[in-house]
Amino acid sequence: MVSLNFTLIAQVVNFIILLVILAKFAYKPLLKALDDRRAKIIDDMDSAEQTRLDAEALKKEYTKQLANAKKEASEIIDKANKSAQTMHETMLQEVQKDKENIMAAAKEQIEQERTQALQDVRGEVIALSTQIAGKLMRQQLDSAENRAAIEKLTDEALTQKQA
Amino acid sequence: MGIAEAASSGGVLEYMPKEIYPGIVINMQTLYMSWLTMAIVAIIVFAATRNIKEIPSGIQNLVEMFVEWLNGLMDNNMGVAGRRIAAPFVITLFLYLFVGNEIGMLPQIGVHLSSPTNDVNVPLALALMVSVTVYIYGVAQKGLIYFKHLIEPFAIMLPLNILEEVAKPVTMALRLFGNILAGEILLEVLYKLVPFLVPNVWIGFSLVIGFLQAFIFTMLTVIAIAPAFRSEQK
Repeated sequence: MVSLNFTLIAQVVNFIILLVILAKFAYKPLLKALDDRRAKIIDDMDSAEQTRLDAEALKKEYTKQLANAKKEASEIIDKANKSAQTMHETMLQEVQKDKENIMAAAKEQIEQERTQALQDVRGEVIALSTQIAGKLMRQQLDSAENRAAIEKLTDEALTQKQA
Repeated sequence: MGIAEAASSGGVLEYMPKEIYPGIVINMQTLYMSWLTMAIVAIIVFAATRNIKEIPSGIQNLVEMFVEWLNGLMDNNMGVAGRRIAAPFVITLFLYLFVGNEIGMLPQIGVHLSSPTNDVNVPLALALMVSVTVYIYGVAQKGLIYFKHLIEPFAIMLPLNILEEVAKPVTMALRLFGNILAGEILLEVLYKLVPFLVPNVWIGFSLVIGFLQAFIFTMLTVIAIAPAFRSEQK
């Protein structure tokens, strides 16, 4: 029932035939495909990891740049504010100075004109008085008449002056 | 006796020995079943590898699943370098045993299907091949110094080591042979005792045993081959 015979040899031959055929035609592509796929997956995962690291580095850099830009912007604004403030003060001072200059000039001119006017009036009064005195001296001195004459002369002189 | 008569007479153990040349006896049933098993394995593997796609589907997926699994076993035991060399042998061995073990459980309509592994010649042939393969790999990897493991750790252990080298294939072969033969005999007995349901449950169980024995045999093969590559890893 259980006996060893040449089936054993036949089986060895059978198995070797099967092994050779499969190894030659089937396993090579199959095992290669498996290895290739494994390599590809490892490769893909590596490159994905690399891409992730790159993206992270890029993000870090952008964040840094953004912070820098913000800082710069606020610096620029500060500077502008400061310079505007300075300009404002300078202009205020200048305006104040101008105002004082103008006021001083105006005052001087007014003083001058007043002096001039007084001088003019004085000259006029002197001339007028001289005229009146002359005319009075030339005329008869009658109290009432004199008075009327003086008034008349004065009026005439004034009219003359006004004319 | 033809195949049909063998089935109807319940001849699970009908190996149909035939003296093809004087003194050369071959069990024809075993030989036919072995050829059938080879054909099925070859068809499955060729179908899976005929049009290899990067994203596997269908039968390629199935075969790749087994191959990846065996590759994992080999990677763990003999390293990637050893796996590249031993993979075809181990994968073929597993597929042959798996298909061969299950063939005897198929419905026997008209033809008598038996597992080739239910003939002690077949498991013994495979086990001896494993032993020889181990020595071939060992000598190929390390040279004749590989034989030194027979006198380790002491020279006095030589007889015991030789006994172990002989016992290993014999136990491997008998374990497989006994399990498969017992499964088929019990199935036949169950058909005679309870024609319905119970044999089907036993078939389910036997299919698991068939896979398990194929796996055990393959695993022992991997473990036996591993030392041939191990010092490579140092």
